[in-house]
Amino acid sequence: MADTREVISSGNHLAALAAADAGCRFMGGYPITPSSEVIEQMSDLLPARGGACIQMEDEIAAVAATIGAGMAGHRTLTATSGPGISLKAENLGLAQMCEVPLVVINVMRGGPSTGLPTRVSQGDVRQAKNPSHGDYRSITLCAGNLAECYTETVRAFNLADRFMQPVFVLLDETIGHMHGKAVIPTEEAVKAGIVGRKQFTGAPSDYHPYECEPDQPAVLNKMFTGYRYHFTGLHHDRNGFPTEEIETCRKLIQRLEDKVMLHTDELELNEEFMLDDMTGEEGEVLIIAYGSVSLAAKESIRHLRAAGIKAGLFRPLTLWPSPEKSIRKYTDMIKNVLCVELNIRQYTEEVERVSSRLDIQGLYKVNGRPISPHEIVSKVKEVF
Amino acid sequence: MSKTLMRFTGVGGQGVLLAGEIFAAAKIASGGEGLKTATYTSQVRGGPTVVDIQLDDQEIYYPYANDGEIGFMLSVANVSYNSFKGGVQPGGTIVVDPNLVHPTDEDRKKWIIHEIPIITIAKEEVGNVITQSVVALAIANTMMNAIDKKVLVDTMLSKVPAKVHAANLKAYDLGEKYAKESIAKLV
Repeated sequence: MADTREVISSGNHLAALAAADAGCRFMGGYPITPSSEVIEQMSDLLPARGGACIQMEDEIAAVAATIGAGMAGHRTLTATSGPGISLKAENLGLAQMCEVPLVVINVMRGGPSTGLPTRVSQGDVRQAKNPSHGDYRSITLCAGNLAECYTETVRAFNLADRFMQPVFVLLDETIGHMHGKAVIPTEEAVKAGIVGRKQFTGAPSDYHPYECEPDQPAVLNKMFTGYRYHFTGLHHDRNGFPTEEIETCRKLIQRLEDKVMLHTDELELNEEFMLDDMTGEEGEVLIIAYGSVSLAAKESIRHLRAAGIKAGLFRPLTLWPSPEKSIRKYTDMIKNVLCVELNIRQYTEEVERVSSRLDIQGLYKVNGRPISPHEIVSKVKEVF
Repeated sequence: MSKTLMRFTGVGGQGVLLAGEIFAAAKIASGGEGLKTATYTSQVRGGPTVVDIQLDDQEIYYPYANDGEIGFMLSVANVSYNSFKGGVQPGGTIVVDPNLVHPTDEDRKKWIIHEIPIITIAKEEVGNVITQSVVALAIANTMMNAIDKKVLVDTMLSKVPAKVHAANLKAYDLGEKYAKESIAKLV
């Protein structure tokens, strides 16, 4: 039996379908343009699959309910846009500290504040890295076409359970609302790939959820299974109770860092488009873009190649943690580098940090309109 | 067939989104690629809305129609007509509802402008104003010859409730008739 299917849908609907197929059984949401179709769709999908979708009184309550369902042991989702993430930030910090898995879809629109509600932007890339205060590592995925609205959402659920923390899926207004054909895995194929969160099976008296290897996440058993522990946003001991003991505090926060940063190989995913014939010759152009902008970048590469300019695209699907080695590999090899973003330098600064290069060129737009392929072609011809 | 770029504009709530979805789905059903991308304002109902429709035989990356490359535009609201007409290539075809959209003399030199009272046709001849998007669909396909009529009509019927199939078929036929008459008048 084929393990893919062809569907005609929009990015937001595909993300919702992915969540349901990946075993999500709870969504706490509050509608906000341009993400509203996610909760609209989930309100149909979840009850039909034995789950629940609740429109709460605001974004804060929405994420709080979602975290509660995650604490209980369910796969759980909230979806919003940038202003909603700002409101959810405090609770997302709680989920990082308590190590509660959940998936957060952010369909990006123009900001700051209420910004441009119906217009496209990638202005939340920096916010996704550190929405809340304190030390922790964000896992942020970014879909670059319709099919990836599905596959990245599925991947986010599996990563949330593996790393026991919130995982962001960034869409944007363009990707969320565009409507066309997508070839996606079947529900059976998705189900076969589900790896749920680890569970402790020993005697309840031996169970200490936060006592784990220094590079591993907490093991939170599902509620009502006979294992007792405590949740707090305060620094906590092996059973989740507040403590200020020096070594316990240090180890806890270092573990939140190391559980992600010592396992970036499990997180990295990139697309290398028209890069296989790059050799480092004079005149080659490396474009770095992600999300909907990469669609314009791909079309611009068609035009550039037709005009005799050897250009290719490096596109991270996992934005945070950034694919340091892969970025360095290409920025070491290719002299002419152009970052294209619907914000001002939010990922360019990461490329500069990773590559140790300060001559990275950029094309940015923050007026709520997409960057067209022609604008990228013109920029390449102008700066290189 | 090479790439076809069409733009439908109106104000939110008129049903231009549905026409775009039907076009994209029909092209995919014919074995090609179709993509619909809408842009609207935060004032969704009553605000200017534009839907770009791309039909192609190869994979479509960039989801918006590039300004200056659009061969066909249909408009049922003056505010959106003025905002989005600039994307139509010189010599391209524009269909407007003359009761709602008022092209300038300059516009008539630059583009081939057809005046078809789309809303009136839907309201008075079909008897249901909601069918205006199907009248528009028929006009666009008749003028652009974009998709096999049977595939398009079947796709359209699959997206509207069965109880309004007859009305929508009538709307399609009327759209086609008015489009053919308007083409004959301009030749």
